[in-house]
Amino acid sequence: MSEKLKSEELKTKNQSFFIRLLSTPNGFIGLTIVIILILSAGFADFLAPFSPTKMMVGNRFLPPNLEFILGTDEFGRDMVSRILFGSRLTLMIGAIAVGISMTTGIMIGLFAAYKGGWLEILLMRSTDILFSFTETLIALSCVAVLGPSLTNAVIAVGIAGIPFYARTCYSAALVEKSKPYFEASIACGASHSRLVFMHLLPNVLPTMIVISTLGVSTAILAAAGLSFLGLGAQPPLPEWGYMLAGSRDYINRAPWLMTIPGVAIALTVLGFNLLGDGFRTVLDPVERQR
Amino acid sequence: MIRFLLGKIVMAFLTVFITTMIETSYHGNPNLKPVGYQHDFTPEQIEEVRRNLGLDKPIYVQYFMYIEKLFQGDLGYTIRGGQPVIQVIFQRLPNTIMLACAAMIIAIGIGLPIGFFAAYKKGTIWDTFVMIIAIAGISMPHFWLGLILLFFFAVELGWLPVSGSGYMNLILPALTLGLSNAAIIARLTRSSMIDVMQQDFVQTALAKGLPKGLVLRRHVLRAGLVPLITMMGLQFAFMMGGAIVVENIFSWNGVGRMAVEAIFQRDYPIIQGFILTFAVVVVIVSIFLDTIYAFIDPRIRRS
Repeated sequence: MSEKLKSEELKTKNQSFFIRLLSTPNGFIGLTIVIILILSAGFADFLAPFSPTKMMVGNRFLPPNLEFILGTDEFGRDMVSRILFGSRLTLMIGAIAVGISMTTGIMIGLFAAYKGGWLEILLMRSTDILFSFTETLIALSCVAVLGPSLTNAVIAVGIAGIPFYARTCYSAALVEKSKPYFEASIACGASHSRLVFMHLLPNVLPTMIVISTLGVSTAILAAAGLSFLGLGAQPPLPEWGYMLAGSRDYINRAPWLMTIPGVAIALTVLGFNLLGDGFRTVLDPVERQR
Repeated sequence: MIRFLLGKIVMAFLTVFITTMIETSYHGNPNLKPVGYQHDFTPEQIEEVRRNLGLDKPIYVQYFMYIEKLFQGDLGYTIRGGQPVIQVIFQRLPNTIMLACAAMIIAIGIGLPIGFFAAYKKGTIWDTFVMIIAIAGISMPHFWLGLILLFFFAVELGWLPVSGSGYMNLILPALTLGLSNAAIIARLTRSSMIDVMQQDFVQTALAKGLPKGLVLRRHVLRAGLVPLITMMGLQFAFMMGGAIVVENIFSWNGVGRMAVEAIFQRDYPIIQGFILTFAVVVVIVSIFLDTIYAFIDPRIRRS
Protein backbone atom coordinates (compact mmCIF):
# COMPACT_ATOMS: atom_id res chain seq x y z
CA MET A 1 0.00 0.00 0.00
CA SER A 2 2.62 2.49 1.07
CA GLU A 3 4.76 1.46 -1.90
CA LYS A 4 1.91 2.24 -4.26
CA LEU A 5 1.22 5.54 -2.54
CA LYS A 6 4.84 6.48 -2.83
CA SER A 7 4.94 5.78 -6.53
CA GLU A 8 1.72 7.76 -7.01
CA GLU A 9 3.22 10.64 -5.14
CA LEU A 10 6.38 10.46 -7.20
CA LYS A 11 4.31 10.40 -10.35
CA THR A 12 2.39 13.56 -9.46
CA LYS A 13 5.65 15.19 -8.47
CA ASN A 14 7.14 14.32 -11.85
CA GLN A 15 3.97 15.38 -13.60
CA SER A 16 3.87 18.71 -11.89
CA PHE A 17 7.48 19.23 -12.82
CA PHE A 18 6.65 18.53 -16.42
CA ILE A 19 3.58 20.72 -16.39
CA ARG A 20 5.50 23.49 -14.70
CA LEU A 21 8.15 23.20 -17.39
CA LEU A 22 5.53 23.41 -20.11
CA SER A 23 3.84 26.36 -18.49
CA THR A 24 6.95 28.50 -18.74
CA PRO A 25 7.10 30.00 -22.24
CA ASN A 26 10.82 29.22 -22.51
CA GLY A 27 10.41 25.60 -21.54
CA PHE A 28 7.45 25.12 -23.87
CA ILE A 29 9.10 26.61 -26.96
CA GLY A 30 12.42 24.96 -26.16
CA LEU A 31 10.89 21.54 -25.69
CA THR A 32 8.91 21.89 -28.92
CA ILE A 33 12.02 22.76 -30.92
CA VAL A 34 14.03 19.94 -29.35
CA ILE A 35 11.26 17.39 -30.01
CA ILE A 36 10.96 18.49 -33.65
CA LEU A 37 14.72 18.15 -33.94
CA ILE A 38 14.72 14.65 -32.46
CA LEU A 39 11.88 13.59 -34.77
CA SER A 40 13.59 14.95 -37.87
CA ALA A 41 16.82 13.23 -36.87
CA GLY A 42 15.06 9.95 -36.18
CA PHE A 43 12.95 9.91 -39.32
CA ALA A 44 15.44 11.54 -41.67
CA ASP A 45 15.47 8.40 -43.83
CA PHE A 46 11.70 8.62 -44.40
CA LEU A 47 11.35 12.39 -44.56
CA ALA A 48 14.23 13.22 -46.87
CA PRO A 49 13.20 13.19 -50.54
CA PHE A 50 16.79 12.51 -51.75
CA SER A 51 20.05 11.17 -50.43
CA PRO A 52 21.98 13.98 -48.69
CA THR A 53 25.07 13.24 -50.74
CA LYS A 54 23.43 12.57 -54.12
CA MET A 55 24.82 15.03 -56.66
CA MET A 56 22.58 16.10 -59.52
CA VAL A 57 24.74 18.04 -61.97
CA GLY A 58 21.75 19.45 -63.87
CA ASN A 59 20.25 20.90 -60.70
CA ARG A 60 23.05 23.09 -59.39
CA PHE A 61 22.17 26.29 -57.51
CA LEU A 62 18.41 25.91 -57.87
CA PRO A 63 16.65 28.47 -55.70
CA PRO A 64 13.89 27.11 -53.41
CA ASN A 65 11.07 25.72 -55.59
CA LEU A 66 8.33 23.10 -55.48
CA GLU A 67 10.55 20.08 -56.11
CA PHE A 68 13.48 21.27 -54.02
CA ILE A 69 11.74 23.16 -51.24
CA LEU A 70 14.95 24.65 -49.87
CA GLY A 71 16.85 24.70 -53.15
CA THR A 72 20.04 22.90 -54.11
CA ASP A 73 23.71 23.55 -53.44
CA GLU A 74 26.80 23.88 -55.60
CA PHE A 75 26.79 20.15 -56.42
CA GLY A 76 23.07 19.98 -57.03
CA ARG A 77 22.38 18.27 -53.71
CA ASP A 78 18.94 18.71 -52.19
CA MET A 79 19.09 21.09 -49.21
CA VAL A 80 16.05 19.61 -47.42
CA SER A 81 17.72 16.21 -47.30
CA ARG A 82 21.03 17.70 -46.19
CA ILE A 83 19.41 19.70 -43.40
CA LEU A 84 17.41 16.66 -42.22
CA PHE A 85 20.44 14.37 -42.12
CA GLY A 86 22.44 17.24 -40.66
CA SER A 87 20.09 17.35 -37.68
CA ARG A 88 21.04 13.74 -36.94
CA LEU A 89 24.73 14.63 -37.03
CA THR A 90 24.16 17.71 -34.90
CA LEU A 91 22.26 15.83 -32.21
CA MET A 92 24.91 13.12 -32.11
CA ILE A 93 27.67 15.70 -31.86
CA GLY A 94 25.89 17.44 -29.00
CA ALA A 95 25.11 14.22 -27.13
CA ILE A 96 28.56 12.65 -27.46
CA ALA A 97 30.46 15.83 -26.66
CA VAL A 98 28.31 16.52 -23.60
CA GLY A 99 28.63 12.85 -22.60
CA ILE A 100 32.41 13.14 -22.63
CA SER A 101 32.58 16.41 -20.75
CA MET A 102 29.87 15.56 -18.25
CA THR A 103 31.18 12.13 -17.17
CA THR A 104 34.75 13.36 -16.90
CA GLY A 105 33.67 16.61 -15.26
CA ILE A 106 31.53 14.79 -12.70
CA MET A 107 34.38 12.42 -11.86
CA ILE A 108 36.85 15.26 -11.38
CA GLY A 109 34.38 17.39 -9.43
CA LEU A 110 33.26 14.57 -7.12
CA PHE A 111 36.80 13.38 -6.55
CA ALA A 112 38.09 16.86 -5.74
CA ALA A 113 35.18 17.65 -3.42
CA TYR A 114 35.29 14.29 -1.63
CA LYS A 115 39.05 13.87 -1.28
CA GLY A 116 39.99 17.42 -0.41
CA GLY A 117 43.55 18.34 0.50
CA TRP A 118 46.24 19.13 -2.03
CA LEU A 119 44.51 17.07 -4.73
CA GLU A 120 41.45 19.31 -4.45
CA ILE A 121 43.59 22.43 -4.82
CA LEU A 122 45.53 20.98 -7.75
CA LEU A 123 42.45 19.75 -9.62
CA MET A 124 40.31 22.82 -9.08
CA ARG A 125 43.12 25.28 -9.80
CA SER A 126 43.88 23.52 -13.07
CA THR A 127 40.22 23.51 -14.10
CA ASP A 128 40.01 27.22 -13.19
CA ILE A 129 42.98 27.93 -15.40
CA LEU A 130 41.59 25.84 -18.26
CA PHE A 131 38.19 27.50 -17.82
CA SER A 132 39.73 30.93 -18.37
CA PHE A 133 41.04 29.79 -21.74
CA THR A 134 37.55 29.45 -23.17
CA GLU A 135 36.24 26.40 -24.96
CA THR A 136 37.14 27.58 -28.44
CA LEU A 137 40.85 27.68 -27.67
CA ILE A 138 40.96 24.33 -25.87
CA ALA A 139 38.99 22.70 -28.68
CA LEU A 140 41.26 24.30 -31.26
CA SER A 141 44.42 23.05 -29.56
CA CYS A 142 42.95 19.55 -29.21
CA VAL A 143 42.17 19.49 -32.93
CA ALA A 144 45.70 20.71 -33.60
CA VAL A 145 47.04 17.63 -31.82
CA LEU A 146 44.49 15.11 -33.11
CA GLY A 147 44.14 16.41 -36.66
CA PRO A 148 41.00 17.74 -38.39
CA SER A 149 38.03 15.34 -38.60
CA LEU A 150 34.50 15.23 -37.23
CA THR A 151 35.30 12.58 -34.61
CA ASN A 152 38.27 14.57 -33.39
CA ALA A 153 36.25 17.76 -33.33
CA VAL A 154 33.62 16.08 -31.14
CA ILE A 155 36.32 14.76 -28.81
CA ALA A 156 37.93 18.20 -28.73
CA VAL A 157 34.64 19.91 -27.88
CA GLY A 158 34.01 17.25 -25.24
CA ILE A 159 37.39 17.86 -23.62
CA ALA A 160 36.92 21.62 -23.86
CA GLY A 161 33.70 21.37 -21.86
CA ILE A 162 35.20 19.44 -18.94
CA PRO A 163 36.24 22.46 -16.81
CA PHE A 164 32.70 23.85 -16.83
CA TYR A 165 31.12 20.58 -15.63
CA ALA A 166 33.93 19.90 -13.16
CA ARG A 167 33.47 23.30 -11.53
CA THR A 168 29.70 23.00 -11.30
CA CYS A 169 29.84 19.45 -9.98
CA TYR A 170 32.51 20.43 -7.47
CA SER A 171 30.48 23.24 -5.95
CA ALA A 172 27.30 21.15 -5.92
CA ALA A 173 29.15 18.29 -4.23
CA LEU A 174 30.63 20.63 -1.62
CA VAL A 175 27.12 21.76 -0.67
CA GLU A 176 26.00 18.12 -0.30
CA LYS A 177 29.08 17.26 1.70
CA SER A 178 28.32 19.92 4.27
CA LYS A 179 24.81 18.61 4.95
CA PRO A 180 24.10 16.73 8.20
CA TYR A 181 22.99 13.51 6.47
CA PHE A 182 26.39 13.16 4.90
CA GLU A 183 28.15 13.47 8.22
CA ALA A 184 25.68 10.99 9.64
CA SER A 185 26.51 8.39 7.01
CA ILE A 186 30.22 8.89 7.68
CA ALA A 187 29.46 8.30 11.36
CA CYS A 188 27.57 5.12 10.43
CA GLY A 189 30.72 3.87 8.78
CA ALA A 190 29.67 4.09 5.13
CA SER A 191 32.42 3.14 2.70
CA HIS A 192 34.06 5.61 0.37
CA SER A 193 32.30 4.27 -2.69
CA ARG A 194 28.95 4.32 -0.90
CA LEU A 195 29.44 7.93 0.15
CA VAL A 196 30.46 9.04 -3.32
CA PHE A 197 28.13 6.98 -5.49
CA MET A 198 25.07 6.57 -3.26
CA HIS A 199 25.05 9.99 -1.60
CA LEU A 200 27.02 12.57 -3.54
CA LEU A 201 26.37 11.43 -7.10
CA PRO A 202 22.55 11.13 -7.02
CA ASN A 203 22.32 14.53 -5.37
CA VAL A 204 24.52 16.41 -7.81
CA LEU A 205 22.98 14.69 -10.83
CA PRO A 206 19.86 16.92 -11.15
CA THR A 207 22.03 20.06 -11.25
CA MET A 208 24.30 18.42 -13.79
CA ILE A 209 21.40 17.43 -16.02
CA VAL A 210 20.07 20.97 -16.03
CA ILE A 211 23.41 22.50 -16.98
CA SER A 212 23.99 19.78 -19.55
CA THR A 213 20.91 20.99 -21.46
CA LEU A 214 22.59 24.38 -21.76
CA GLY A 215 25.86 22.56 -22.42
CA VAL A 216 24.43 20.79 -25.46
CA SER A 217 23.87 24.15 -27.14
CA THR A 218 27.41 25.31 -26.37
CA ALA A 219 28.82 22.02 -27.66
CA ILE A 220 26.78 22.19 -30.88
CA LEU A 221 27.91 25.77 -31.46
CA ALA A 222 31.55 24.94 -30.80
CA ALA A 223 31.53 21.88 -33.07
CA ALA A 224 29.76 23.80 -35.83
CA GLY A 225 32.37 26.53 -35.43
CA LEU A 226 35.18 24.02 -35.86
CA SER A 227 33.49 22.53 -38.94
CA PHE A 228 33.02 26.06 -40.24
CA LEU A 229 36.78 26.57 -40.03
CA GLY A 230 37.31 23.28 -41.87
CA LEU A 231 38.67 21.62 -38.73
CA GLY A 232 35.66 19.39 -38.11
CA ALA A 233 33.32 17.59 -40.49
CA GLN A 234 34.87 16.87 -43.86
CA PRO A 235 32.99 16.67 -47.18
CA PRO A 236 30.56 15.25 -48.18
CA LEU A 237 29.04 15.08 -44.66
CA PRO A 238 25.89 17.22 -44.37
CA GLU A 239 27.15 19.03 -41.27
CA TRP A 240 25.55 22.44 -40.83
CA GLY A 241 28.70 24.36 -39.88
CA TYR A 242 30.56 22.91 -42.82
CA MET A 243 27.65 23.75 -45.13
CA LEU A 244 27.79 27.35 -43.94
CA ALA A 245 31.50 27.56 -44.64
CA GLY A 246 30.95 26.41 -48.22
CA SER A 247 28.21 29.00 -48.74
CA ARG A 248 30.61 31.93 -48.31
CA ASP A 249 31.93 31.51 -51.84
CA TYR A 250 28.43 31.64 -53.34
CA ILE A 251 27.10 34.40 -51.10
CA ASN A 252 26.11 36.45 -54.16
CA ARG A 253 24.77 33.72 -56.34
CA ALA A 254 22.93 31.56 -53.84
CA PRO A 255 22.13 33.38 -50.60
CA TRP A 256 19.78 30.56 -49.50
CA LEU A 257 22.83 28.31 -49.01
CA MET A 258 23.93 30.71 -46.29
CA THR A 259 20.50 31.28 -44.76
CA ILE A 260 19.22 27.74 -44.34
CA PRO A 261 22.01 26.01 -42.37
CA GLY A 262 22.40 29.17 -40.28
CA VAL A 263 18.72 29.15 -39.34
CA ALA A 264 19.01 25.44 -38.55
CA ILE A 265 21.97 25.93 -36.18
CA ALA A 266 20.48 29.01 -34.56
CA LEU A 267 17.08 27.32 -33.97
CA THR A 268 18.69 24.20 -32.52
CA VAL A 269 20.89 26.17 -30.16
CA LEU A 270 17.94 28.40 -29.26
CA GLY A 271 15.84 25.32 -28.52
CA PHE A 272 18.35 23.87 -26.08
CA ASN A 273 19.01 27.27 -24.51
CA LEU A 274 15.30 27.86 -23.93
CA LEU A 275 14.80 24.35 -22.57
CA GLY A 276 17.73 24.78 -20.19
CA ASP A 277 16.34 28.13 -19.13
CA GLY A 278 12.96 26.54 -18.54
CA PHE A 279 14.51 23.77 -16.42
CA ARG A 280 16.33 26.33 -14.36
CA THR A 281 13.24 28.44 -13.82
CA VAL A 282 11.29 25.41 -12.63
CA LEU A 283 14.02 24.00 -10.40
CA ASP A 284 15.50 27.17 -8.96
CA PRO A 285 13.03 28.95 -6.66
CA VAL A 286 15.10 32.12 -6.50
CA GLU A 287 15.07 32.38 -10.26
CA ARG A 288 11.34 31.68 -10.28
CA GLN A 289 10.60 34.76 -8.21
CA ARG A 290 12.24 37.01 -10.75
CA MET B 1 47.81 46.00 -2.25
CA ILE B 2 51.31 44.87 -3.15
CA ARG B 3 50.69 41.48 -1.56
CA PHE B 4 47.46 41.17 -3.50
CA LEU B 5 49.24 41.92 -6.76
CA LEU B 6 52.10 39.54 -5.96
CA GLY B 7 49.62 36.74 -5.40
CA LYS B 8 48.03 37.48 -8.76
CA ILE B 9 51.39 37.48 -10.51
CA VAL B 10 52.35 34.12 -8.97
CA MET B 11 49.06 32.70 -10.26
CA ALA B 12 49.81 34.20 -13.66
CA PHE B 13 53.18 32.47 -13.82
CA LEU B 14 51.56 29.20 -12.82
CA THR B 15 49.03 29.60 -15.61
CA VAL B 16 51.69 30.24 -18.20
CA PHE B 17 53.75 27.29 -16.98
CA ILE B 18 50.81 24.92 -17.17
CA THR B 19 50.17 26.19 -20.69
CA THR B 20 53.74 25.50 -21.75
CA MET B 21 53.44 22.03 -20.27
CA ILE B 22 50.36 21.29 -22.37
CA GLU B 23 52.11 22.69 -25.39
CA THR B 24 55.15 20.51 -25.18
CA SER B 25 52.95 17.46 -25.20
CA TYR B 26 52.29 18.28 -28.85
CA HIS B 27 55.81 17.25 -29.58
CA GLY B 28 55.06 13.70 -28.60
CA ASN B 29 52.61 13.62 -31.48
CA PRO B 30 53.74 10.88 -33.89
CA ASN B 31 51.76 12.44 -36.76
CA LEU B 32 54.28 15.19 -37.01
CA LYS B 33 55.64 15.37 -40.48
CA PRO B 34 56.54 18.43 -42.45
CA VAL B 35 53.24 18.88 -44.24
CA GLY B 36 53.00 21.56 -46.84
CA TYR B 37 55.31 19.60 -49.07
CA GLN B 38 53.25 17.22 -51.10
CA HIS B 39 55.83 14.58 -51.90
CA ASP B 40 56.82 11.81 -49.51
CA PHE B 41 59.78 11.97 -47.24
CA THR B 42 62.26 9.23 -46.56
CA PRO B 43 62.32 7.99 -42.97
CA GLU B 44 65.82 9.47 -42.63
CA GLN B 45 64.62 12.92 -43.59
CA ILE B 46 61.72 12.75 -41.13
CA GLU B 47 64.16 11.60 -38.48
CA GLU B 48 66.36 14.58 -39.24
CA VAL B 49 63.45 17.03 -38.88
CA ARG B 50 62.51 15.40 -35.60
CA ARG B 51 66.10 15.71 -34.38
CA ASN B 52 66.29 19.36 -35.40
CA LEU B 53 63.11 20.09 -33.46
CA GLY B 54 64.44 18.09 -30.50
CA LEU B 55 61.67 15.51 -30.79
CA ASP B 56 63.98 12.56 -30.24
CA LYS B 57 64.50 13.60 -26.62
CA PRO B 58 62.17 12.66 -23.75
CA ILE B 59 59.25 15.02 -23.19
CA TYR B 60 60.51 16.50 -19.93
CA VAL B 61 63.84 17.36 -21.56
CA GLN B 62 61.90 19.00 -24.38
CA TYR B 63 59.90 20.90 -21.82
CA PHE B 64 62.97 22.38 -20.15
CA MET B 65 64.49 23.16 -23.52
CA TYR B 66 61.34 25.05 -24.42
CA ILE B 67 61.30 26.97 -21.12
CA GLU B 68 64.98 27.82 -21.45
CA LYS B 69 64.43 29.22 -24.91
CA LEU B 70 61.28 30.98 -23.77
CA PHE B 71 63.26 33.02 -21.25
CA GLN B 72 65.52 34.12 -24.07
CA GLY B 73 62.47 35.29 -26.00
CA ASP B 74 62.85 32.44 -28.47
CA LEU B 75 59.68 30.57 -29.46
CA GLY B 76 61.37 28.58 -32.19
CA TYR B 77 61.06 28.94 -35.94
CA THR B 78 58.12 28.29 -38.23
CA ILE B 79 58.33 25.02 -40.12
CA ARG B 80 57.24 26.78 -43.27
CA GLY B 81 59.48 29.70 -44.12
CA GLY B 82 61.74 29.36 -41.09
CA GLN B 83 60.83 32.75 -39.62
CA PRO B 84 61.10 33.37 -35.86
CA VAL B 85 57.67 32.56 -34.38
CA ILE B 86 57.75 35.47 -31.97
CA GLN B 87 58.17 37.88 -34.87
CA VAL B 88 55.28 36.36 -36.81
CA ILE B 89 53.05 36.61 -33.76
CA PHE B 90 53.97 40.16 -32.85
CA GLN B 91 53.21 41.23 -36.38
CA ARG B 92 49.64 40.02 -36.09
CA LEU B 93 48.80 40.31 -32.41
CA PRO B 94 47.97 44.06 -32.54
CA ASN B 95 45.29 43.29 -35.13
CA THR B 96 43.60 40.74 -32.88
CA ILE B 97 43.84 42.96 -29.80
CA MET B 98 42.36 45.83 -31.79
CA LEU B 99 39.50 43.63 -32.97
CA ALA B 100 38.80 42.30 -29.46
CA CYS B 101 38.87 45.80 -27.93
CA ALA B 102 36.60 47.28 -30.60
CA ALA B 103 34.19 44.35 -30.12
CA MET B 104 34.33 44.81 -26.34
CA ILE B 105 33.39 48.48 -26.67
CA ILE B 106 30.44 47.58 -28.90
CA ALA B 107 29.37 44.76 -26.59
CA ILE B 108 29.48 46.92 -23.45
CA GLY B 109 27.99 49.92 -25.23
CA ILE B 110 24.96 47.90 -26.27
CA GLY B 111 24.71 45.22 -23.59
CA LEU B 112 25.09 47.35 -20.49
CA PRO B 113 22.32 49.92 -21.12
CA ILE B 114 19.95 47.23 -22.38
CA GLY B 115 20.58 44.99 -19.38
CA PHE B 116 20.15 47.93 -17.02
CA PHE B 117 16.93 48.90 -18.74
CA ALA B 118 15.59 45.33 -18.48
CA ALA B 119 16.43 45.23 -14.78
CA TYR B 120 14.71 48.57 -14.24
CA LYS B 121 11.61 47.37 -16.08
CA LYS B 122 11.80 43.96 -14.41
CA GLY B 123 8.70 41.83 -14.87
CA THR B 124 7.14 44.03 -17.54
CA ILE B 125 6.66 43.26 -21.21
CA TRP B 126 9.83 45.30 -21.94
CA ASP B 127 11.90 43.02 -19.75
CA THR B 128 10.52 39.91 -21.44
CA PHE B 129 11.08 41.43 -24.87
CA VAL B 130 14.70 42.34 -24.11
CA MET B 131 15.41 38.94 -22.61
CA ILE B 132 13.95 37.14 -25.64
CA ILE B 133 16.22 39.20 -27.90
CA ALA B 134 19.15 38.39 -25.60
CA ILE B 135 18.56 34.65 -25.63
CA ALA B 136 18.17 34.76 -29.41
CA GLY B 137 21.44 36.68 -29.59
CA ILE B 138 23.22 34.10 -27.46
CA SER B 139 21.91 31.31 -29.69
CA MET B 140 23.08 33.04 -32.84
CA PRO B 141 26.28 31.42 -34.09
CA HIS B 142 28.73 34.29 -34.54
CA PHE B 143 30.05 32.79 -37.76
CA TRP B 144 26.55 32.99 -39.19
CA LEU B 145 26.01 36.53 -37.95
CA GLY B 146 29.31 37.38 -39.63
CA LEU B 147 28.13 35.94 -42.94
CA ILE B 148 24.83 37.81 -42.72
CA LEU B 149 26.56 41.12 -42.01
CA LEU B 150 29.00 40.37 -44.82
CA PHE B 151 26.11 39.68 -47.18
CA PHE B 152 24.15 42.82 -46.37
CA PHE B 153 26.77 45.48 -45.78
CA ALA B 154 29.54 44.33 -48.08
CA VAL B 155 27.83 42.44 -50.88
CA GLU B 156 24.30 43.85 -51.20
CA LEU B 157 24.77 47.44 -50.06
CA GLY B 158 28.47 47.69 -50.87
CA TRP B 159 29.02 50.10 -47.95
CA LEU B 160 31.95 48.25 -46.44
CA PRO B 161 34.81 46.24 -47.93
CA VAL B 162 34.55 42.43 -47.89
CA SER B 163 38.05 41.84 -46.58
CA GLY B 164 41.33 43.62 -46.08
CA SER B 165 43.22 45.30 -43.26
CA GLY B 166 42.15 48.95 -43.05
CA TYR B 167 40.02 50.59 -40.34
CA MET B 168 36.94 50.24 -42.48
CA ASN B 169 37.57 46.50 -42.50
CA LEU B 170 37.51 46.43 -38.73
CA ILE B 171 33.85 47.48 -38.57
CA LEU B 172 32.19 44.25 -39.70
CA PRO B 173 34.27 41.77 -37.66
CA ALA B 174 34.04 43.99 -34.58
CA LEU B 175 30.28 44.28 -35.03
CA THR B 176 29.97 40.50 -35.40
CA LEU B 177 31.90 39.76 -32.23
CA GLY B 178 30.43 42.71 -30.35
CA LEU B 179 26.78 41.95 -31.08
CA SER B 180 26.99 38.31 -30.05
CA ASN B 181 28.67 39.26 -26.78
CA ALA B 182 26.31 42.17 -26.14
CA ALA B 183 23.58 39.60 -25.50
CA ILE B 184 25.65 37.87 -22.82
CA ILE B 185 26.60 41.17 -21.20
CA ALA B 186 22.95 42.28 -21.20
CA ARG B 187 21.97 39.14 -19.27
CA LEU B 188 24.83 39.48 -16.80
CA THR B 189 24.05 43.16 -16.24
CA ARG B 190 20.37 42.47 -15.71
CA SER B 191 20.89 39.84 -13.05
CA SER B 192 23.60 41.86 -11.31
CA MET B 193 21.39 44.98 -11.19
CA ILE B 194 18.36 43.03 -10.01
CA ASP B 195 20.43 41.64 -7.14
CA VAL B 196 21.40 45.16 -6.12
CA MET B 197 17.89 46.58 -6.48
CA GLN B 198 16.57 44.04 -3.99
CA GLN B 199 19.07 45.06 -1.34
CA ASP B 200 18.18 47.03 1.76
CA PHE B 201 20.25 50.12 1.06
CA VAL B 202 18.41 50.72 -2.20
CA GLN B 203 15.04 50.27 -0.51
CA THR B 204 16.19 52.67 2.23
CA ALA B 205 17.28 55.25 -0.30
CA LEU B 206 13.91 55.02 -2.01
CA ALA B 207 12.07 55.14 1.31
CA LYS B 208 13.95 58.32 2.23
CA GLY B 209 12.28 59.86 -0.77
CA LEU B 210 15.33 60.29 -2.94
CA PRO B 211 14.51 60.78 -6.61
CA LYS B 212 14.41 57.49 -8.47
CA GLY B 213 16.92 58.58 -11.10
CA LEU B 214 19.42 59.51 -8.41
CA VAL B 215 19.01 56.17 -6.64
CA LEU B 216 19.49 54.32 -9.90
CA ARG B 217 22.60 56.22 -10.81
CA ARG B 218 24.30 56.62 -7.46
CA HIS B 219 23.28 53.45 -5.68
CA VAL B 220 22.22 50.74 -8.10
CA LEU B 221 24.53 51.39 -11.03
CA ARG B 222 27.61 51.87 -8.88
CA ALA B 223 27.11 48.77 -6.79
CA GLY B 224 25.93 46.68 -9.71
CA LEU B 225 28.91 47.47 -11.88
CA VAL B 226 31.46 46.09 -9.41
CA PRO B 227 30.74 42.36 -9.87
CA LEU B 228 30.46 42.95 -13.61
CA ILE B 229 34.10 44.06 -13.82
CA THR B 230 35.47 40.62 -12.94
CA MET B 231 33.13 38.99 -15.43
CA MET B 232 34.58 41.24 -18.13
CA GLY B 233 37.85 39.31 -17.88
CA LEU B 234 36.15 36.10 -18.89
CA GLN B 235 34.24 38.03 -21.56
CA PHE B 236 37.52 39.28 -22.99
CA ALA B 237 38.80 35.72 -23.17
CA PHE B 238 35.58 34.76 -24.99
CA MET B 239 36.21 37.63 -27.39
CA MET B 240 39.68 36.33 -28.13
CA GLY B 241 38.27 32.85 -28.68
CA GLY B 242 35.54 34.20 -30.94
CA ALA B 243 38.12 36.24 -32.83
CA ILE B 244 39.64 32.99 -34.09
CA VAL B 245 36.48 32.26 -36.09
CA VAL B 246 35.57 35.83 -37.02
CA GLU B 247 39.06 36.65 -38.33
CA ASN B 248 38.68 33.75 -40.73
CA ILE B 249 35.35 34.97 -42.10
CA PHE B 250 36.60 38.46 -42.84
CA SER B 251 40.20 37.50 -43.66
CA TRP B 252 41.30 39.79 -40.85
CA ASN B 253 45.02 39.35 -40.46
CA GLY B 254 45.20 38.43 -36.78
CA VAL B 255 46.68 35.61 -34.71
CA GLY B 256 43.47 33.56 -34.89
CA ARG B 257 43.61 33.26 -38.64
CA MET B 258 47.30 32.50 -38.37
CA ALA B 259 46.60 29.69 -35.90
CA VAL B 260 44.00 28.02 -38.13
CA GLU B 261 46.33 28.19 -41.11
CA ALA B 262 49.08 26.72 -38.96
CA ILE B 263 46.85 23.80 -37.98
CA PHE B 264 46.26 22.98 -41.63
CA GLN B 265 49.97 23.15 -42.34
CA ARG B 266 50.87 21.36 -39.10
CA ASP B 267 53.16 24.22 -38.23
CA TYR B 268 53.42 23.29 -34.56
CA PRO B 269 55.82 26.03 -33.39
CA ILE B 270 53.24 28.63 -34.49
CA ILE B 271 50.38 26.84 -32.71
CA GLN B 272 52.46 26.62 -29.54
CA GLY B 273 53.33 30.27 -29.80
CA PHE B 274 49.69 31.17 -30.38
CA ILE B 275 48.46 29.32 -27.32
CA LEU B 276 51.16 30.85 -25.17
CA THR B 277 50.30 34.32 -26.47
CA PHE B 278 46.62 33.70 -25.80
CA ALA B 279 47.44 32.63 -22.23
CA VAL B 280 49.62 35.68 -21.63
CA VAL B 281 46.99 38.08 -22.99
CA VAL B 282 44.19 36.49 -20.94
CA VAL B 283 46.35 36.57 -17.80
CA ILE B 284 47.37 40.21 -18.29
CA VAL B 285 43.76 41.27 -18.85
CA SER B 286 42.56 39.39 -15.77
CA ILE B 287 45.33 40.87 -13.58
CA PHE B 288 44.44 44.31 -14.86
CA LEU B 289 40.73 43.82 -14.12
CA ASP B 290 41.40 42.27 -10.71
CA THR B 291 43.52 45.29 -9.85
CA ILE B 292 40.71 47.63 -10.84
CA TYR B 293 38.32 45.51 -8.81
CA ALA B 294 40.56 45.69 -5.75
CA PHE B 295 40.94 49.40 -6.27
CA ILE B 296 37.20 49.98 -6.33
CA ASP B 297 36.34 47.58 -3.54
CA PRO B 298 38.81 47.84 -0.62
CA ARG B 299 37.40 44.66 0.96
CA ILE B 300 39.03 42.57 -1.80
CA ARG B 301 42.44 44.10 -1.18
CA ARG B 302 42.42 43.18 2.49
CA SER B 303 41.21 39.62 2.19
